[in-house]
Amino acid sequence: MALIELTDVVKSYRVGEQEIRALDGVSLEIEAGEYAAVTGPSGSGKSTLMHLLGCLDTPTSGKVVIDGVDVSRASDGMLAEMRSGKIGFVFQAFNLLPKLSVLENVELPLLYAGDGFRRRRKRAFEAIERVGLADRVKNTPLQLSGGQMQRVAVARALVNDPKIVFADEPTGNLDSATGQSILQLFRELNAQGRTIVLVTHDSEIAATAPRQIVIRDGRIASCVEARREAGV
Amino acid sequence: MRIWNSLAIGIREIWSHKFRSFLTMLGIILGVAALLATFALVAGMAAGSRETMRQYGGVEKVDVITQEPPAEQQAYAEISPGRTLWDAQAIRDSVAGVANVTPIYEINPGRVNRGSETTTAEVFGVWPEYSPINNHVVEFGRNLSQIDLDEANHVCVIGRNVVDGLWPGRPEYNRVGETVLIGGKPFVVVGVFEFYEREEDKRRRKFGIKPVPFMGSRSGSRRMFDPFFRKNRSVIIPFTTAFHDFKSYKITGANNEVDLGAIHTVDGITIQVADAGALQQTLDEVSEVLRQTHRGIEDFSFNTRLEFLDRIEEQTRNLRLVGGLIAGLSLVVGGIGIMNIMLASITERVREIGVRRAVGAKSRHIFAQILVESAVIGVIGGALGLLASQGLIEIFKSISPAEYDPIVDMKSAALSFAAAVLIGIGSGIYPAWKASRIAPIEALRYG
Repeated sequence: MALIELTDVVKSYRVGEQEIRALDGVSLEIEAGEYAAVTGPSGSGKSTLMHLLGCLDTPTSGKVVIDGVDVSRASDGMLAEMRSGKIGFVFQAFNLLPKLSVLENVELPLLYAGDGFRRRRKRAFEAIERVGLADRVKNTPLQLSGGQMQRVAVARALVNDPKIVFADEPTGNLDSATGQSILQLFRELNAQGRTIVLVTHDSEIAATAPRQIVIRDGRIASCVEARREAGV
Repeated sequence: MRIWNSLAIGIREIWSHKFRSFLTMLGIILGVAALLATFALVAGMAAGSRETMRQYGGVEKVDVITQEPPAEQQAYAEISPGRTLWDAQAIRDSVAGVANVTPIYEINPGRVNRGSETTTAEVFGVWPEYSPINNHVVEFGRNLSQIDLDEANHVCVIGRNVVDGLWPGRPEYNRVGETVLIGGKPFVVVGVFEFYEREEDKRRRKFGIKPVPFMGSRSGSRRMFDPFFRKNRSVIIPFTTAFHDFKSYKITGANNEVDLGAIHTVDGITIQVADAGALQQTLDEVSEVLRQTHRGIEDFSFNTRLEFLDRIEEQTRNLRLVGGLIAGLSLVVGGIGIMNIMLASITERVREIGVRRAVGAKSRHIFAQILVESAVIGVIGGALGLLASQGLIEIFKSISPAEYDPIVDMKSAALSFAAAVLIGIGSGIYPAWKASRIAPIEALRYG
């Protein structure tokens, strides 16, 4: 069974009298250990797709199964538990909490997962080491460069050892060299067996992923499966 | 997530906005200070009233008064001798719960002379126990004694206003050994009572503030305002002396007829119970005795200070309620301030809430975080308010040093603090609920 399974997923919003179908019958499977890029022009529905995959939202109809759990009709608390235990997020705007230190930012998911203080500190520190920022644990995010902030965000996404890491335009706020290093980090993580789903409107960045899922007008336009060697 | 994590987040959030948090807290601080100061002032006033009552003999002091006998006894009520010396003796000898008892003769008119000076006093013929019963304190000389009683000595103990009246303009109160005339008969002063005054008057004197002048005519109004006016005008002489000189006969009518009167019918009996807690039981025993001496006629009753005490308690309660309500309102205003700030801070932190939700926070975690934050504001504000109340009380004391000393008791402090915490929690509920309802994707899209 695939790690992520979507069947006929529809997500529609009401804006006034109008009903907008952000996703219109999407079926998709992502296997464990895959590195997939979801791409498409803005407004195509790729962010909506990531919200559904990331258990931030539920579909209007259709079925979303993440790691064997049907989350299509899951409660708010159930979704939170999925996010807490199985999913990590990296955002375009980093979304670090400016008042917390690097270490505390990375600890945050563990706090909600219920880890004790010592275990939290240890795991957070390991995750920060993993992204190469062990000497900046005491700093606050605003004292870091953009690339460093995104590394902290990656560490936060990794800290609770999730099955899937979702990255929403992770290089959007970075210069291309820094962006490349972040993408390199994702490739390394993928090489270690972690499932990565990258959402981007930039086809060049999407091209770095072995599999590209192109969304257009709420439907899957094409699904390019590059040979694995080509991506790495 | 454990509670101390929520606490840590809440405290951190408050600390990172020190000034804003302080302003938010200020409402609570002032509210608690006002509440506790009000309670303290009321408690001080109540203590003052109770002290006044204690100086008059407290709840332990009970007067035996006369009353109309019940209807079925009225036909033969005259078989009762009324209140007599024997009543007092019987009570003294047979009721264990009575600490002291005295019969009282009132000498009317209570005119006391010395040379050309005359003053009006409340002259009583009593047993020496009269002084402890009424919490009289002899400042110079001595109290009446058993020997005075046995030998019907012509001695007296006088109050300070009597000294003032007889030795006008001379600030010397030790008049032991002087002779005064009571009802035209010479009595040697063996003792002078101390000066009784209300706590606030004592303080006024201590701070050199002139006593508030009593309005209207001196005699009329002073009596109304000064509960110690009568006590300071007391003159007591031995019961036996009073009997021989004033009560064993009466000259009546135009022909100066001598009326021997009823032997040893007294004008009053006052008892002091040993234990105020056993007041009713003791009075029941006293009733038993009096029913014997009055031959079964229920022509007596008791006048206790319980009603007075009840009135003090009731007034205290009302003052606490009214004062607490007004001060409590300011606390509520403080709570509205907290709610306002919390609502504003949620709008400001929508993104943060989204991030927390994305990394696994449940809506109840967000709820707890906001609630803890406002509760912590309530707790810290309450604690600072307790400190501030001390300042407020000091300010009050310096403005009006003569008033009763405010009394801060643990119960009031705990109550004020609890009110602050409750207000803190209460005003956080709505903002916390609102924050917990923010959908994660909405929050992440924001800004």
